[in-house]
Amino acid sequence: MKLPVTSVLAGLALALTLGTASYAADIKIGVLVPTTGGQATYGQDMANSVQLAMDALNKAGPNTYSMVVGDDACDPQQAVNAATKLASSGISAVVGGYCSGATVPTLKIFGDAKLPFVITAANSTKLIPANPGNAFMINSTGNDQVAAALVVWKAKGYKSIAIVNEGDAYSQDLATLAQKGFTDAGGTVADFETVNHGEQDYSAVITKIKSANPDAVFWTAYDDDGGPFVKQLREGGYQGAVFVGDGSTSDNFFKLAGDAAEGVYAFSSPTADFLPAAKDFATAYQAKFNIAPSSYGPLTYDGMNLLADAITKAGGTDPTKLMAALQAEDYKGIAGEITFKPDHTLARSNFVVVQGKGGKWTLAQ
Amino acid sequence: MTLVTLLAQQLVNGLVLGSFYALVALGYTMVFGVVKLLNFAHGDVYMVGAFAGFVVLSLIGGMVGTSWLGVGLSILLSMIAVGFLGVVIERIAYAPMLRAPRLSILITALAVSLVLQNSVLSLTQGQVFAFSPKLGFAGINIGAVFINYKQVALAVVAALLMIGLELFVSRTQYGRAMRAVSVDRDMSELMGIDVNRVIAVTFFAGSALAAAAGTMAGAYYGSIWYFMGFLIGLKAFTAAVIGGIGSIPGAMLGGLVLGLLESFGTTLPGIGSEWKDVFSFTVLILVLVFKPTGLLGKSEQERM
Repeated sequence: MKLPVTSVLAGLALALTLGTASYAADIKIGVLVPTTGGQATYGQDMANSVQLAMDALNKAGPNTYSMVVGDDACDPQQAVNAATKLASSGISAVVGGYCSGATVPTLKIFGDAKLPFVITAANSTKLIPANPGNAFMINSTGNDQVAAALVVWKAKGYKSIAIVNEGDAYSQDLATLAQKGFTDAGGTVADFETVNHGEQDYSAVITKIKSANPDAVFWTAYDDDGGPFVKQLREGGYQGAVFVGDGSTSDNFFKLAGDAAEGVYAFSSPTADFLPAAKDFATAYQAKFNIAPSSYGPLTYDGMNLLADAITKAGGTDPTKLMAALQAEDYKGIAGEITFKPDHTLARSNFVVVQGKGGKWTLAQ
Repeated sequence: MTLVTLLAQQLVNGLVLGSFYALVALGYTMVFGVVKLLNFAHGDVYMVGAFAGFVVLSLIGGMVGTSWLGVGLSILLSMIAVGFLGVVIERIAYAPMLRAPRLSILITALAVSLVLQNSVLSLTQGQVFAFSPKLGFAGINIGAVFINYKQVALAVVAALLMIGLELFVSRTQYGRAMRAVSVDRDMSELMGIDVNRVIAVTFFAGSALAAAAGTMAGAYYGSIWYFMGFLIGLKAFTAAVIGGIGSIPGAMLGGLVLGLLESFGTTLPGIGSEWKDVFSFTVLILVLVFKPTGLLGKSEQERM
């Protein structure tokens, strides 16, 4: 049988109209997070939060959401593989992005595939110039974190600090921003150190820090090494204040650092404990997964809901319309209001200062 | 902190780090001496040793506590268990390849490394475990230099193990057989030495030392994960080469030299922590250029 070309086109047009209609579409969302490796607990938590958001969205209808998880293992190489696989698995958009170093190389892949990407945790300022225009960051960036840090350090009257990073996109970015910020504010960075990820032995660096005798030490990398570092720092006899960045605000930090975590300050994205609006989220999360949500749960939950909201406003998943809808968003999530600057970063800073007390993070005075 | 104190403290740090490198380097050097194999899975044997020690300590911790006695016992049991693992690896993966070209067995070693790493990755989901025995913070002050008891214990255990190994190789029947096989395997076989058994003993001893280092590193640094063997494997190999691969005293010396290079490299202005690996690997290249056999290695003459 031979079909006239026009009727095929008409049928196609009909199918397209149906596909973009606002009712009963099946939408697949890619979730790029580390589900193995040192950062797996954060990644699993983010995937859980997306699932929780989808459960509610599917119940409310009309669209049905399902997710495809890509494991980046917090490793740039594996992230590229995971992103390429996601991009070819029929998804309409991506949510996630935890490790900045692993997220940077995926931006171009998702950009080329015209997939909108809501980044819910990664916040290195290196992501901003690497963004081909499809990515939207709903966590405050390193600039905001350093601004929050400077307020605290100034209030405490610190004259000199030591900064330790691991040379990856996230920790190096935060470390150099902090170094510049503190120097510009008239302080002295007495010691600036870079250690290898997974090195385990920090004794030489710690001895050097002790001899520089700074008022505070700022660890900018992740918790898997941050816990042991802080432990060794205290064992080595350092008495001053200790600060860690938002990559070390997990519960695992307390397991790894032990008693040394007491009194440590951290700059944290808003976690469920400190958000009145996140109470229902935390209860539902606990009921479904039998564990409390971790640091990036609320933001990732917001990220998925934001995306769904934008899909409704755009009348479907057409990439151009969806990205325009995201840029124009003014969404009120459980972690606060989400609007974007022209460079697709969050318009406000969302950092809170917390302190380790009795084996958990509490709001610092 | 005065400059002298700083340097003295870095000396202590370097010696502690160096004892780890030395213990792991011994396994590389012994296996290389006897079967001429660069056992790239050795770093991962160290990692498995750390996990074995962790499991043992969780099992016996309830009975003997997680203090010095508990840690001591878990080091011992981990050494035995991982020693046998080393023998099993050798029997399954290396024994059939011993007569094959050198390259095949090298690739096999890389495969064993990946198998060990990925098995532990799947079993642990790649998470970092806190290894936290109750060893306290106490220590002694020598002048202004602070040394905690953990560091002392570590250095003493490492020294005892190395002395034990040296006595084993130089004084016992098996040690003599080991040296004979390393000089000429075929001839040793003709002289009635059970070469397979000697190779098994070599793998047992090397793996047990790596397990001791792994368990001590876990207990000392406080965390273990599946990838912890990679970096130390590379560095212990470097230490073995600096000292002269195949030479047992060379591995001990190489380990200490590398540990000291790293801790002083971190302190030197213009090098710092960022460049310390560049610094120590440059030293490796210099050693190889000016003394290709390593610090204590003997040059081998090939007769035609």
